[in-house]
Amino acid sequence: MNNDINVKALQRNCFRQSKVPGEFMLQMRVPGGVIPAKYLEVATHIAETWGDGNFHIGTRQTLDFPGIKYESIPAVNAYIQEYIEGVETELSGVDMNQIAHEPHEWDPKSGYPTIGARNVTACIGNVHCICGNINTQEMARKVEQLIFPSNYHIKVNVAGCPNDCIKANMCDFGIIGVAKIDFHPDRCIGCGACVRQCKAASTRVLMSGPNGLPIKDDCCCVGCGECVRVCPASAWTRNPKKFYRVILGGRTGRQTPRAGKMFLNWATEEVVLGVLKNWQKFSAWALDYKPVYLHGGHLIDRAGYHKFKEIILEGVELNPECQVAEQMFWAETEWRSNFNVKFPEDHLTAGPGSNNGGH
Amino acid sequence: MGYRLNKEQSNALFAKLSEKYDIYAPKRFPKQGRYSDTDVIKYDKVTSFDEVEYTEKSTYPMKEVLNPVHQTLFYFNDEDYHEAVKNLRPMLIIGRACDINAQKIQERIFLGNGFHEDAYYRRRHDMAKFVLMECNGGTDTCFCVSMNANKTDDYVFGLKFSENGLEIESKDAEFEPYFSEYEKEDFKVKFVEDNQLTVTPPVIPDKEVLNALKKHPMWKEYDARCISCGACTMACSTCTCFTTRDVVYTENADNGERRRVSASCQVAGFDQMAGQREMRPTAGDRMRYKVLHKFHAYDARFHEGPMCVGCGRCTDHCPQFIALSATVNKMSKAVEEIMKEQGKEC
Amino acid sequence: MIRNELQPAACRILSVKHESVHEWTFRVATDIKVSHGQFMQLSIPRVGEAPISVSMQGDGWLEFTLRPVGKVTNEIFEKKAGEYLFLRGPYGNGWPKHRIDGKHLVVITGGTGLAPVRSLLNHYYDHMDEIKDIHLISGFKNDESIVFTEDLAKWKEKFTTIYALDNDQKEGFRTGMVTAFVSEIPWKDFGEDYTVLVVGPPPMMKFTGLELLKNGVKEENIWMSFERKMSCAIGKCGHCRIDEVYVCLDGPVFMYTVAKDLVD
Repeated sequence: MNNDINVKALQRNCFRQSKVPGEFMLQMRVPGGVIPAKYLEVATHIAETWGDGNFHIGTRQTLDFPGIKYESIPAVNAYIQEYIEGVETELSGVDMNQIAHEPHEWDPKSGYPTIGARNVTACIGNVHCICGNINTQEMARKVEQLIFPSNYHIKVNVAGCPNDCIKANMCDFGIIGVAKIDFHPDRCIGCGACVRQCKAASTRVLMSGPNGLPIKDDCCCVGCGECVRVCPASAWTRNPKKFYRVILGGRTGRQTPRAGKMFLNWATEEVVLGVLKNWQKFSAWALDYKPVYLHGGHLIDRAGYHKFKEIILEGVELNPECQVAEQMFWAETEWRSNFNVKFPEDHLTAGPGSNNGGH
Repeated sequence: MGYRLNKEQSNALFAKLSEKYDIYAPKRFPKQGRYSDTDVIKYDKVTSFDEVEYTEKSTYPMKEVLNPVHQTLFYFNDEDYHEAVKNLRPMLIIGRACDINAQKIQERIFLGNGFHEDAYYRRRHDMAKFVLMECNGGTDTCFCVSMNANKTDDYVFGLKFSENGLEIESKDAEFEPYFSEYEKEDFKVKFVEDNQLTVTPPVIPDKEVLNALKKHPMWKEYDARCISCGACTMACSTCTCFTTRDVVYTENADNGERRRVSASCQVAGFDQMAGQREMRPTAGDRMRYKVLHKFHAYDARFHEGPMCVGCGRCTDHCPQFIALSATVNKMSKAVEEIMKEQGKEC
Repeated sequence: MIRNELQPAACRILSVKHESVHEWTFRVATDIKVSHGQFMQLSIPRVGEAPISVSMQGDGWLEFTLRPVGKVTNEIFEKKAGEYLFLRGPYGNGWPKHRIDGKHLVVITGGTGLAPVRSLLNHYYDHMDEIKDIHLISGFKNDESIVFTEDLAKWKEKFTTIYALDNDQKEGFRTGMVTAFVSEIPWKDFGEDYTVLVVGPPPMMKFTGLELLKNGVKEENIWMSFERKMSCAIGKCGHCRIDEVYVCLDGPVFMYTVAKDLVD
C-alpha cells in the first residue's frame, strides 16, 4: 500500500477515506431516500465485485460501499454511470453538466463530480404515511436539481409533517410539509377527537368551545394535520394548497450542535425552491468564491443571519401567507462556557477576504 | 322508454332540470380526505353532469341531503323559540339502489317511529324525489345483495353515467318532457345481482340468547381495536342519531340557534346523563350496541329486516380497518355457539 | 303547516321551593295535562333541553323537582319565580293506573326517585277509595337529601310507610337500604291483588327487583321507571334506545319482565 493518493480529490468524488490504507467507501446519492428497487442489483454488484460484500445504509440515506480498493475506483466509477444517470438525470431531473449553476462538462465515466451538497434526505412522506402532508420524494428531487452538483456544502432534509421523523430540525435547511387547515363547522359533530388529539400529539391549539365546536388558536398551529386525521366527519380538511416550513441552521457536530430555528413559515413550493436556488450564490459570496468544504450552517453564522437573509431572499417573491424570521436566535449546546470569546484574529468571517480559520 | 345523451346534452339536461330542481349528487372534493392527497366524495348540489362523481362510492352517504349533519331547528332569544323553516326548492337526489333503500330506513325512524313525525325530515322528504344511478358493481366492501337492498322501485327516472354521457330510463311521466328531444334507445337500469361479499346476520330467537350474546367475549376484541371515533356512523347510510345543541351567537349571546347535530353511539358520552356514569363505557360495549341495533333490535321493533343496506361505507371509512361484514359474521358464529350451549336448535 | 312537536313553549315559574339543599321544586304555570309518571322536556335558550319528570300537577300548573347536575339543570337553578322555563310534552307512558286501581299498591323509591311517583301518591291520598291500601318504602342517602318532607309527613296518615336513610340516624327514619325493608311488606295478605312501583337510581332498582323476586313477588306485578339520556323524547334521536325499546316512547315505565332484560 504505497500508493500516492489524493484523498481530498477522492472525497470530492464521493469516495471516503478508510482507516485501512488504500481502501475507500463509496457513497451513492439517493435523493429523497427512495430509488427503484432494481438498483439494489447495482448495489449488490458493486459490493460483491469491488467492495467487502456489504453495503451500509448511510446516515444521510446514501448507499455506502466500504472496502473498495483504490485501484478499483476507475472501474467502479465507470460502472455507476448507469446509476448516476438513472437516479440523478432521469429520476431527479438533475443537469449533470454544471456545478453550482455554472456550466461544467461531466465525464459520465468519472463518477460523482462533487460531494459538497450532501444527499437530500426525506421521510417516506404522503405517498405512504398517514401523517404526511406532502410528497417528500418529489420535493427532494426538485431540491436535488438546485443543489447538486455543487462543491458548496448543504444538508437538506425533507419532512412530510411537523413530526419530523427525518430531523429537518437538525440540518442546515430543513423543509417540513405543513398543512393549512380548513374548518367546516357544518360538518362538525362536536365529538372532541381533534381537541384531544391536538392536546395529546401536537401543540394544544384546539379547545372545546361553548357551542360544542372546537375553537382554534391559529397562531400556534404547526400545521400537522392531526385534527384532519382523527376527524370522523371531514369537518377539518387540509387546504389543497401545499405549504412548507423551513428550519434553518440545525446541525450536529463536535463543536456547536444545535437545533434549527424557523426561518420561513407557510411558504409555497416556489418560495422554498426560489430560496434554495440562492444557496449557491450565498455560499459563493460567503466563501469569497472559493469552494471550500465548509458546513453551510457555519457560513450563516459567519455572514450573520441578516446578511444571509438578504442574499437568500434575493429575487424571491414571497407568497401572501409566507412569514419570515425577523431575527434568529439559535441556542447552541455550550460544551464550554465563553466558547465564542476569542482573539479577534481568530474570528471566522464571511465574504470578500474572509478568514476561514484554516479548516 | 329510454334515451341516450352525449356529454354536452347531459350537461344541458342538468341545466334544464336545475331550473326547477336542486339536484343533489355525489361530488368529489379534491384533497379533502383524511390523509394527504386523498379526496372526499360527498353529496352536494350540482348543476351539471360533469360535477357528478359516478365511478367511485361516496365517502359519506346520501342521508346528508335529507338529514344534514347540522340542521337549525329553532332560532331563539331570551323570550322565544322561532321554528327555522327553510325555503326548500324541489329536490332530485341521485343515488344507487342501496342509497335509496337506506332512505326508507331513515324514514322509518323520522316519520314512522313513535307518535310524532319529525317536522324537519317531513318537509325535506316531501320536496325530494330519487333518481336512480346504475351501480357499476360496487367494491369489495359492498354487500347490498345480502341485505336485500340491491334493488329499488322508488325513483322517478334512472341514469347510467359514463364518460360519454348518460343513458336514461324514463319512468315517471312528469319527467318525460325533459328527455323527449334526445335520441331514443331501449334502456333500463340494471341492478347489481351479486357481491364478492356475503353477510349472514344471525337469528336471535330470544332474550336468553341475546343476553348471552351481549356478554360474549367477541366484543372484547373491539376494546383493543376500535378507537370509538364514530367515523363508521358518520359514513353509515342508515344511522339516524342526533343530539340537540344550543348554539349561541358570539356577537349577541342572548340569541342563537337550537340545532340538530349528527351524533354517534360510538363516541363516548352518547349514553351519558348529566352527573352519571356512562352506560356503555368501553369501545366493545359501543360496538356491540351498534351492531346489535343494526342486525337485531331494528328488526325486532319494526320487523323490516336489518338496519343496514350493505353499502360498506362504514368499513371503507374505518381508520382501524374494522369490517362490519366480518363483525356480523363473527356474531353469527357466536350465536351458533350460544345456541349449542343453551341446547337450542339453530 | 306541519306540526312541530319539538317547539317549546314559554311558561312562567310560579314558585321555587327548596326541598333540600340540592333538590328544588319549580312550579310552572301551564295548562298542559299530564298522566302520573310522564315527563316533559325542559328548555333554557342557550343551554339546551333535558327530560324531567313531573313531580306534581294541579290546576294550571306543573311541578318539577330536580338537582343541579348538568348544564340545563344548573341553569334552571338560577331561575326565580316570575322568570320563564320552556316546556314541551308530556312524553312517555306514565304509571299503569289501570293496573293499580283497586289493588294493594307498594311503592319503593330511592332518593329523588320519589319525584316521578309523587303526584300518583298524592292522587291516591285524595282518593283512597280508588285503592285498597298503599305501602311506601322511601329511602334517602342521608338527612340532607330528604325531599318532600311535608308529603312524607302527610302520607304517614293514610299509607303504611317506611322511611329510611342509607347510613344516617334521624327520628322517624330507619337506617338501611330500601331492600332491607322489602320483606316487611305483608305480601302474603295481598294474594295476587297488588302492584309494585319501583323508582330510583339504576343499582337501587336492580337490587330491589331481585329482592322482590326473593319475596315471591311476581314479575308481572312490578313496574319500574327508567331514566336515560334523551335529546328529542319523540323516538328520533336514538339516545334512549335499549335494544328494540325506546325509553321515551315505550317507557319510562316498564313491567319488570321487560325491564330486567334492558341491558344498555
